[in-house]
Amino acid sequence: MNPREIIEKALREGRRKLLEHEALYVVKHYGAEIAEADIAYTPEEAGEIAEKIGFPVVLKIVSPDISHKSDVGGVIVGVKTKEEAVEAAKKILGNVSKRAPNARITGILVQKMAPKGLEVIIGGLRDNIFGPVVMFGLGGIFVEVLRDVSFRVAPITLNDALEMMNEIKSAKLLEGYRGQPPVDKEALAKTIIAVAKLLEENPEIDSIDLNPVIAYPDKALVVDARIILRQSKSK
Amino acid sequence: MLNKFFEPRSVAIIGATPKPGKVGRVILENFMKRFKGRIYPVNPKYDEILGLKCYKNVKEIPGEVDLAVIAIPAPRVPGVMKDIAEKGIRAVIIISGGFRETGTEEGARLEEEIKKIAFENGIRILGPNCLGIFDNWSGVDTFFLPDEKMKRPPRGPISFISQSGAFASALLDWMAHHKIGLSRSISYGNKIDVDDIDLLEYLGKDDKTGLIIMYLEGLKPGRGRLFIDIARKVSMEKPIIIYKAGKTSRGGLAAASHTAALAGNYQLYKAAIKQAGLIEALSFDEIMDLAKTLLTQPLMKGDRVYIVTDAGGVGVMSTDALTMQGFNVPRTPGDLRDKLREMLPPHCIVENPIDLTGDADDDRYIKVLETLLPRNDVDAVIVVALPQIPGLKGKLFDYLIHAKKYGKPILVIMIGSEEAEKFKEYLEDNGIPVFESPERAAVALRALYEYSMFKEKYRGSEG
Repeated sequence: MNPREIIEKALREGRRKLLEHEALYVVKHYGAEIAEADIAYTPEEAGEIAEKIGFPVVLKIVSPDISHKSDVGGVIVGVKTKEEAVEAAKKILGNVSKRAPNARITGILVQKMAPKGLEVIIGGLRDNIFGPVVMFGLGGIFVEVLRDVSFRVAPITLNDALEMMNEIKSAKLLEGYRGQPPVDKEALAKTIIAVAKLLEENPEIDSIDLNPVIAYPDKALVVDARIILRQSKSK
Repeated sequence: MLNKFFEPRSVAIIGATPKPGKVGRVILENFMKRFKGRIYPVNPKYDEILGLKCYKNVKEIPGEVDLAVIAIPAPRVPGVMKDIAEKGIRAVIIISGGFRETGTEEGARLEEEIKKIAFENGIRILGPNCLGIFDNWSGVDTFFLPDEKMKRPPRGPISFISQSGAFASALLDWMAHHKIGLSRSISYGNKIDVDDIDLLEYLGKDDKTGLIIMYLEGLKPGRGRLFIDIARKVSMEKPIIIYKAGKTSRGGLAAASHTAALAGNYQLYKAAIKQAGLIEALSFDEIMDLAKTLLTQPLMKGDRVYIVTDAGGVGVMSTDALTMQGFNVPRTPGDLRDKLREMLPPHCIVENPIDLTGDADDDRYIKVLETLLPRNDVDAVIVVALPQIPGLKGKLFDYLIHAKKYGKPILVIMIGSEEAEKFKEYLEDNGIPVFESPERAAVALRALYEYSMFKEKYRGSEG
């Protein structure tokens, strides 16, 4: 399915939010690099996908009715073999059927675990006055406590995206500190541009959160994507 | 397209009245004082007002009418708009309030009705609920405040677009008091038609406008991106200083995502201001500090600033203020140090800030500046000239005016009483901005620097 089909399907089903695998797929289609992932519909399939994308992996329940996956035992991290993956999938299904018996289950997301790096947040939304706008900030306390973020009105150029990164107060962390090498700003810029384009080309999208995106010296991986659709058009 | 608002050949004033103190009387008097075109008072109750023939209805006016000004109660405006349409008038300023801003259904309904008539007949509207236009060249003046309450500024290069009518009138009065020249000023009220974008476009092309000041509370929905595009084009031609009011985050927004929760209204305006190359003033003081600097000073090529002072303390204050604004206050390079050492008494300090000390005189300043200004590694000079020292007699200030030929920004810091005021007036009349504090000078220079960098950045890309 292409992004248009994914969005239209969600709207037909009356969903305001894309499922995790759908959101990751859409973001990838627009040129952002994601932590490799696929959806499994059976525990065996989860094992096969895990083997294909390589270990360690994380398994997450995919359901339109569950937003706090960990609370219902829907997430298992650090899975290292195919057998473990099959077992983990079974365990997740068991947990969920007990703790959220009425939730519709779409499947299980199997995703490569991203190594440690610098966590950033890239987002976007459709503003009533400016139309699509994009946001950049560092993850954790930088965004949540210090609200250290920068914005641009789309469309943006590579230079605009780079400027956004330099504009935040904690920009120095991107240059590397305590012996860390600097992160790949251009890869982050590409991810920001992907968000801008996504909003511009798909008027049904209301907002996007890529949180976290993990930045490395040579790339940036989107680990989690959340895409919210506009309510008015969903019914 | 907006020409008829600013330079009409004839104007109909609907609601003109002989009753003293009434809006319709003040506006009529304003026009009679300064407007050179034809004036047609319109009011069914009179045959003549202040010696001018008065018409019962715009349709009765014999000649062509370029602009209609409406100052009658809101419920009667739609009827008049229909007459205006029939008469073929294409530009209307609606001063009257009583529309959507009242928050009533009736107000909103009246506004929609007016919009509809205007749209169907190709009429452009400024307002309603506004002061309208004060044009210092054509004499269009719908600011319904008499001269004795709001003085009119002298003619000059600054144009002003304001979302607040009261602030517009206060600023004009203040400019008049400080003898700061004004070109055109617009208060657009509810902006049901003509808005910031149209006005920027008009003033951008207007050769009588050298700098634009905007007081903005908010743009109309969906106009943000076009605003950025147009403002950026105009900014390439002339500086636009913006004061964005309403900086606190929008309340009550149900945030569906992280991004939405963080995207305060002002955050987005800040981004737009940056993308459009606008210069943001954060306070009232800043508006005028920035205006006088951007109007008079050449663009900067880099961020290296030298300070020449007669007071060590203010030199250090200036260094701090400039550094906090992100400027580079370089150490005096070796060759310059040698030259300065040679020409200055041993007790002077040749390190930047260059301290000529309390026994300095005009000539000492001039010698040093004449060495500094032509150098390629000097991008701007701050001259701290505290006039309390006996050696400063005024020759320095003539030199500074002459030194504009070097094409580099020169800002003066002067603290003091009558003497300082006298020198300040002389310098500012001749295009050298003077500041009472190093902090304000540094902020103004920073604005000039950012505007310079914006123009540099877009010069290539905009063809």
